Amino acid sequence: METVTDKKIVIETRDIAKVYHDSKIAVQALRDVDLEISEGEFTAIVGPSGSGKTTLLNIIGGLDNPTAGTIKVAGRDISKLKDSERIDFRLHNIGFVFQQYNLIPVLTARENVEFIMLLQKIPVHEMKARSLHLLEEVGLKEKANVRPSELSGGQQQRVAVVRALASRPKFILADEPTANLDSASAANLLDMMARMNQEEGMTFIFSTHDQRVIDKARRVVTLEDGIIKSDEVRS
Amino acid sequence: MKMLATIAWRNVWRSRGRSLVVIGSIVVGIWALIFMLGFMNGFMISYINGAIKHEISHIQIHEANFKKDPNIGFVIPGGMDLAEFLTSNPRIQAVSPRSLTSGMISSPRKSSGGRIYGVIPDRERSVTHHDSLITEGSYFKSDLKNPVIIGKELANTLKVRLNSKVVLTFQDRENNLVAGAFRVAGLLETTSPQINKASAYILMEDLTRIAGLKEGVHEIALLLENPESETVVLPDLRSAHPDLLIESWREIAPELELFLSMTDSFLWVLIGIIMIALIFGIINTMLMAVLERYRELGMLMAIGMNKWRIFMMIVIETIFLSLVGGPIGILLGLMTMYWLGMQGIDLSAYSEGLREYGYSSILYPYIENSSYVYVAAGVIITALLGALYPAYKAVQLNPTEALHTV
Ligand SMILES: Nc1ncnc2c1ncn2[C@@H]1O[C@H](COP(=O)(O)OP(=O)(O)OP(=O)(O)O)[C@@H](O)[C@H]1O
Ligand SMILES: [Mg+2]
Repeated sequence: METVTDKKIVIETRDIAKVYHDSKIAVQALRDVDLEISEGEFTAIVGPSGSGKTTLLNIIGGLDNPTAGTIKVAGRDISKLKDSERIDFRLHNIGFVFQQYNLIPVLTARENVEFIMLLQKIPVHEMKARSLHLLEEVGLKEKANVRPSELSGGQQQRVAVVRALASRPKFILADEPTANLDSASAANLLDMMARMNQEEGMTFIFSTHDQRVIDKARRVVTLEDGIIKSDEVRS
Repeated sequence: MKMLATIAWRNVWRSRGRSLVVIGSIVVGIWALIFMLGFMNGFMISYINGAIKHEISHIQIHEANFKKDPNIGFVIPGGMDLAEFLTSNPRIQAVSPRSLTSGMISSPRKSSGGRIYGVIPDRERSVTHHDSLITEGSYFKSDLKNPVIIGKELANTLKVRLNSKVVLTFQDRENNLVAGAFRVAGLLETTSPQINKASAYILMEDLTRIAGLKEGVHEIALLLENPESETVVLPDLRSAHPDLLIESWREIAPELELFLSMTDSFLWVLIGIIMIALIFGIINTMLMAVLERYRELGMLMAIGMNKWRIFMMIVIETIFLSLVGGPIGILLGLMTMYWLGMQGIDLSAYSEGLREYGYSSILYPYIENSSYVYVAAGVIITALLGALYPAYKAVQLNPTEALHTV
């Protein structure tokens, strides 16, 4: 498991396992997952459906707890946090981009971008500046005052990424951000994420099925039946 | 907080149709509340005013012993002078001194017990307005000698008509039975069974003459200019005449007070029913809104919106619903009350039955200004109560599961 060694390790999982018990049979979604992620990575988590990608991202993002093992994110054992502390932790450290339904439908693109910053109590002028700058950056300046229903799927996902970025989290976790997009929009979104990763130095972890998306990652972690099958770093 | 309010406000208009249904039911609920309050108030006021205006008046004065022992001897000392003196009080609209005793009222065919009032017609008319309730004959206007006015029902019982002869028998000072012959000059119809079935009104001079009294005032009835000045007039009178029994209409007719409190509690029950209906409507709607937005709420929690904010967002949304509906309902109610307060509601179609309850067949709904404040507060409380459960449901959700539901 070679990573860019001169960088600080910001996510560290040790022997993580996750078993779901809600159906009659227990489902082992993850087993013995050891993973280290360094600052500034642009990493794809890939694998067939049901291999545990979403489960892993949810655990890293503090949305779910592992059944066994430890997880440290930004130096903190997040499985030990209380519910309210965990929400706060997510607010200040993690940006999420989901497959769909990312945006608040009654808010405009810009308001959506500013939403997390509002929760973070960022001063208004700075908030406005950041949101306008980032929307311009991704070519959505004209759509700033438009509601999500008037945006295309690709534009919505770009707004979601911009929202995550604007709040300056330590990581951005994106669970199949391109699953609902045509391949052109998917490539477009990935290019934008890669550029943001370069420019802002934010750590990106995303899951995907899409080979063209995988090609853009600098590290690819492959899961199969909840086990890490391979972990490949590209130049 | 401002952002929460913005989201909540826009969410209200997200399911326009559903929100309008809730707003509409809030409007109707409030309007109905105000209307009922006004109607009941108007009804009570009209009933009580009727009773005051035609039967009991605002204040009655008696000799201290008279009520316990209605002996014809217990007259108010200097009663006529006192009555005269009270007439000059600017707070008092009308004064009627009366002689009062009980006795038998007999026709050639039947007889019946009852009260016999000796009145000064002009004075009595200004207090009890009985001249307006005469159904046959006139109010002491004919030249008949020894006129008597009796209730219509009593006339039926006695089987007498206008101009028939009746004999009144009662005790004089020395407990001797005395009697006088009278002619029926008018028939009276009121809402009081006591007056209709068991009262006879004759001239005071006739009564005192037959009873052999020098001074014959047993009762002085007062009508006030303004009912509220009772709180001033009553204590004044009492301290000026500590030896007399001076009572307000509440003491004279405690059943009116009872009636008041009964309608009051009935009203509270109605208000409760309307509010509970509103609460369930609101719970239902907001629960639908929450379930519909399950995924969205999950996303909000995932990106860092805490439970308190989510709770508040739902509560604020509900309050907005009621804040839109509330003022419209109150305004409609206000306008209805204003219009009906001037126009009145003509109940004459039903007044055959209502005759039992009050004098006026036109009802003027009335509502105190403070009631609007109560109604407004009630709506806000209702909305808050209705919001609690859906908001609780919203914060209970688990973000990963919520995001999974498709
Ligand atoms: N809430 C849950 N309750 C029960 N089982 C679950 C739950 N979530 C996931 N699983 C199971 O855990 C396993 C891993 O699921 P997960 O969603 O992590 O896979 P995935 O790699 O994200 O799949 P996909 O590519 O389809 O999104 C699957 O077998 C799934 O059925
Ligand atoms: Mg998945």
